[in-house]
Amino acid sequence: MEVSKKTTSPTPTELIDWLNDEGVLELDWDFPEDGNLAEAGLDSMAVMQLVVAVEDRWGVELGPEDLTKANLATPITLAALIVARTS
Amino acid sequence: MTRTRESFDVAVIGGGSAGLAAAVTAARSGARTLLIERHGYLGGMGTASLVHSFCGLYLLRDEPDAVLANPGFASEIAERMIAATGIGPVRMGRLDVLPQHPVEFVRIADELVAAETSLELRLHTEVSAVSRNGDAWEIGLCGRSGVRPVTAINLIDGSGDAVVAGMLGGGSSMAAAPKLQRPAYVFGIHSNSSMADDSRLHTAGLIVEGVRGGLLPADALGITFRASGRVGEIFASIDLAGGETVSDFDPLDPACLTALELRGRRIATGVIRWLSSRSESWRGAYISQWPGRAGIRESRRWIGEYILTGTDLLAGKRFDDEIALATWPMEFREDAKGPKLRYPEDGRPAGIPLRCLKPAGIDHLFVSGRCISTDHDAQASIRVMGTCFATGEAAGRAAVG
Repeated sequence: MEVSKKTTSPTPTELIDWLNDEGVLELDWDFPEDGNLAEAGLDSMAVMQLVVAVEDRWGVELGPEDLTKANLATPITLAALIVARTS
Repeated sequence: MTRTRESFDVAVIGGGSAGLAAAVTAARSGARTLLIERHGYLGGMGTASLVHSFCGLYLLRDEPDAVLANPGFASEIAERMIAATGIGPVRMGRLDVLPQHPVEFVRIADELVAAETSLELRLHTEVSAVSRNGDAWEIGLCGRSGVRPVTAINLIDGSGDAVVAGMLGGGSSMAAAPKLQRPAYVFGIHSNSSMADDSRLHTAGLIVEGVRGGLLPADALGITFRASGRVGEIFASIDLAGGETVSDFDPLDPACLTALELRGRRIATGVIRWLSSRSESWRGAYISQWPGRAGIRESRRWIGEYILTGTDLLAGKRFDDEIALATWPMEFREDAKGPKLRYPEDGRPAGIPLRCLKPAGIDHLFVSGRCISTDHDAQASIRVMGTCFATGEAAGRAAVG
């Protein structure tokens, strides 16, 4: 059975849950959509994990040029990045 | 001709952060002390393995400003290191850590030892055998000239691997291989690459690209870089695959350690070649320093009069006989998903009882550092050098007590 990886792109809230489930970050249940991901532990090491996991989940290959502070700032900007690369 | 056997009040096995603290503390009380170290310098993980942060020195707190958790030797080392590097504690997420430079640590250790007239340092020495004979320990010191016996009334195991337990044939425990913390492999790089946030992220992207393209092994995914504080010098750290993927993983076995060293160097070489060919800011970068040994985080532990547990740490449990505070969260590095930190409730530190430094049922023997009596979970906190200074000092004091 083939499971399509390219399910719907994430909303910021879905992304928060997914980051927790994947163990990329440990975010509080009430972590805000515009919360600071860098302060929550999204360092360069966690980013590598994130990129691999995003590829697994949404089939999106994020490259070095995508990984800017601005793109990775909050769940909102990260979800927007994934949406932009999915479409 | 018979030679008088050298005898000491205290012998300390291992000159890492714990053994150094133990030996200097014992010697300061006037005890005739022997410090035995296998490398050509002291400092252990902080020098031979290039681990360039002192963790566990400071209390866990939400307010800014780092507050030292343990007075005495740990605080003294912090002060000396800050004077040497000019760099104070740094807040990383919820934690305060003190960046340290391995080259400075070696010198500081030399000076601490040189100041103690009753401390005898023996570098390039391994211990080949330990046994209790009457009222003294008989210790075989092994060097290139052969084995030379010495005696000591009290013995401190600061080996990190509970080597005395191995020689006495019991009293220790070790987590099953799949749970053992993964080893750290740290190496020095010369590069003028920027360590600003965006270039770090760009570098992370390049590493993923290299792994994706099959040019780098998956282990490279966890690599982190940190400026050493010296111009053009960067330390890189990788967690090597451990018992979760390597069959028969045994950090006490030289064959296993050999494989780790070779793997660490191969990954490091691949990463630097890849980055310097692929990125303008990494062009011209080269590896400037190999570690003397891969950084083993966890191996054999003593079973003492008390076994400190992860539950104790989470609850911030305190003890009547506590000798130091454990302030570092339990830092699990059991798989490739990166470090997982478990913080105590309310951020309260737990005490480490003296009983964790006393192997059960054996008199005149003390233990310090990462092989004190804990379970696997608590070891993930107390293994850090900031805490090892404190347990080492306590062992040195107990041995002359």
